[in-house]
Amino acid sequence: MAQAPRCRGVERQARQKFARTILNTPSVQVCDSTASMIVRKFGLRQSRQLLALTRQTPISRRFLSTEFETPVANPATEVQTPPKETIVPSENPLHEVVQASRTQKTAEAEAWGRWVGQRRKFNRIGSEVEEAYDPEMVIRSPPRPSDITLELLLASGTHLGHSTSRWNPQNSRYIFGIREGVHIISLDATAAYLRRAAKVVEEVAARGGIILFAGTRKGQKRAVVRAAELAKGYHIFERWIPGALTNGQQILGHCETMVVNAVDEKLEEFKRDLADRPSVKPDLVVCLNPLENVVMLHECGLNNVPTIGIIDTDADPTRVTYPIPANDDSLRATDLIVGILGRAGQAGQKRRLEAAQEGKTTYKPITAEQLRLDPFTGVLPGSEQKKQF
Amino acid sequence: MARPTYGIVQAMQSLRLYSPSSYRLAAPALRRQARGYATETGNTTGDVQSSSDLPPTDLPSTEPPATELSSTQPPSAAPPLAEAPPSEIPPAVKAAPEINFDRFNAQPARIVPASPSYFSGSPRFIDNVLKLESLQAKYASLPTVGAGEAPRMAWFKLAQFRDYVGEPVPMKKYKSLLKILQRLNRIQPEMVPGEVRSELNNFLRPGNPYAAQNVPRTVDENGRARAKGKRKESTAVVQLVEGEGEIMVNGKSLVEMFQRVHDRESALWALRSTQRMDKYNAWITVKGGGVTGQAEAITLAIARALLLHEPGLKPVLRKAGVITVDARRVERKKPGHVKARKMPTWVKR
Repeated sequence: MAQAPRCRGVERQARQKFARTILNTPSVQVCDSTASMIVRKFGLRQSRQLLALTRQTPISRRFLSTEFETPVANPATEVQTPPKETIVPSENPLHEVVQASRTQKTAEAEAWGRWVGQRRKFNRIGSEVEEAYDPEMVIRSPPRPSDITLELLLASGTHLGHSTSRWNPQNSRYIFGIREGVHIISLDATAAYLRRAAKVVEEVAARGGIILFAGTRKGQKRAVVRAAELAKGYHIFERWIPGALTNGQQILGHCETMVVNAVDEKLEEFKRDLADRPSVKPDLVVCLNPLENVVMLHECGLNNVPTIGIIDTDADPTRVTYPIPANDDSLRATDLIVGILGRAGQAGQKRRLEAAQEGKTTYKPITAEQLRLDPFTGVLPGSEQKKQF
Repeated sequence: MARPTYGIVQAMQSLRLYSPSSYRLAAPALRRQARGYATETGNTTGDVQSSSDLPPTDLPSTEPPATELSSTQPPSAAPPLAEAPPSEIPPAVKAAPEINFDRFNAQPARIVPASPSYFSGSPRFIDNVLKLESLQAKYASLPTVGAGEAPRMAWFKLAQFRDYVGEPVPMKKYKSLLKILQRLNRIQPEMVPGEVRSELNNFLRPGNPYAAQNVPRTVDENGRARAKGKRKESTAVVQLVEGEGEIMVNGKSLVEMFQRVHDRESALWALRSTQRMDKYNAWITVKGGGVTGQAEAITLAIARALLLHEPGLKPVLRKAGVITVDARRVERKKPGHVKARKMPTWVKR
């Protein structure tokens, strides 16, 4: 702290001396435009600085600066915070000119740069609001299953059910009571079932399963995509194509698949073995709006694919394997739930990849031999192949 | 046992590697390499034990499988390599990659979809949309220009886009993707980030239809000014050269072509109003339409050709009303009408 002003003083002296020599020596002739520009620029800079030395910091800067510099002379603050230098000492006078000639910035670019600078500056000013709900944060960094609390669920509105007249009596065990003609879902039940579902997702992910997150309502897209990204799963945010499971070869036949090794690296040499394979089926489906996806759940039932679903008071809980009794009409609630499940999947994937790094698989991997067999007949395809061996 | 003269045997002989026992050791490995499965080439270290963990479909290694070798190793490829001395091997041929001894990472584990949007049925389209949306969100704060000032881009037509992604994308969905593209294209041109630029270029149709600039026409090296004019259904092409006032229309003189004086007047009005009747010769081709249309198409064409010779005449010609295009065309007849607008007369019963 004490050294800083001294250093600055020394440097200032050196710079002034340099300026004097540059400006006074007749040997520096204006031989070309660049040199003259440098000299002019340098002189300008120096003179501006010399002017600045003689007086106090300008008042306008006081308003702009982020430091608390009160215009009232306060001896305590003056000692603690000496006025800042405006010009960066390490700046090379040549550097500025070279930069200016290199980057020919237009007026718009400059204005934008100014705006960014101002935003950076002013965003730090003011009080910080803590514990506030930010809809972005639920999507960007959703809570972990261990963060599930009844307060969080209540704040997200997962407890709000439907009008009592619309209820499905099978949900009576999840219902806490009635308030203003609306069923209130028991948060205890929600938390417990959500934790169980998170465990299921984590274990499926840890065993290399294919997890499909489906939220086909308007506004659920980003949360669904984010959850799939976290859990290295798959997503659907538009209409479920009927028959994608029961008639997979027709509907998903053209969609690309790949063979990966235990650490999820693509193995190109097995590409030709994938030619006549049946389409891939998910090992777990997470459905955010089971009421609109009756067909999907039906197909999952036909194909023995387990499902997790958010069951509101008007939905049928037997349609899904693992119900989560919660409000499925609020984006805030569904974002939270799918985010938690995505985080659970992330933990499972981490476990699986850690095991793979040690050379272990937590599931039965497909072998090269199996890949070469015909998926339908179970023998080597083609008679030519048989001759070859 | 007589050894067949196949390429690999010869190559090994030439390299002094060949002996019946070494062949027996190396043959299974060679065969496996020929099949190209990396998992099995994993232990091509030439140990005898490797043959025991092979599938039973493999031949026993006691018998030299010369005939099988020929089926897996095409003889057409191998002999030139074996017969040519090493100095004649073309330098462009690269050596085979190193053997992967880490079998675990070369073993297949799962078959998974290549894209996270596999189950949507159109994964490539959805992946494109998501990528563009993330770019749009990332660079939302960059300054933009108006839609008219943005560089003109020739995006894929719907059919071309369907070819590009290989999926039957509906028009409505492609339009929503185009909206994102247009928004990204409106970023201040000199501030467009590299990744946005490269991503936008993926959606441009081949060739740039907007690159061709309109070249202003001039008088050619023979002193001819060529111009076209249209009126009603007629189209006239005029070649105007400096001369003595000779006019040929479709190989006939103006009098032969147009019987009415009014038509002759109007055809040459551009020259007459500027008093250039005896200064230019015109060679005119006109087709389509009727007499009036042809005459007035010639008017416009001559006026345009005259402007190429003397651009300074523009105000005069404008005032004479000969460079104003008459865009009126015959209105189509409508069903239920007698003509374009005329309704049938009302009949009581």
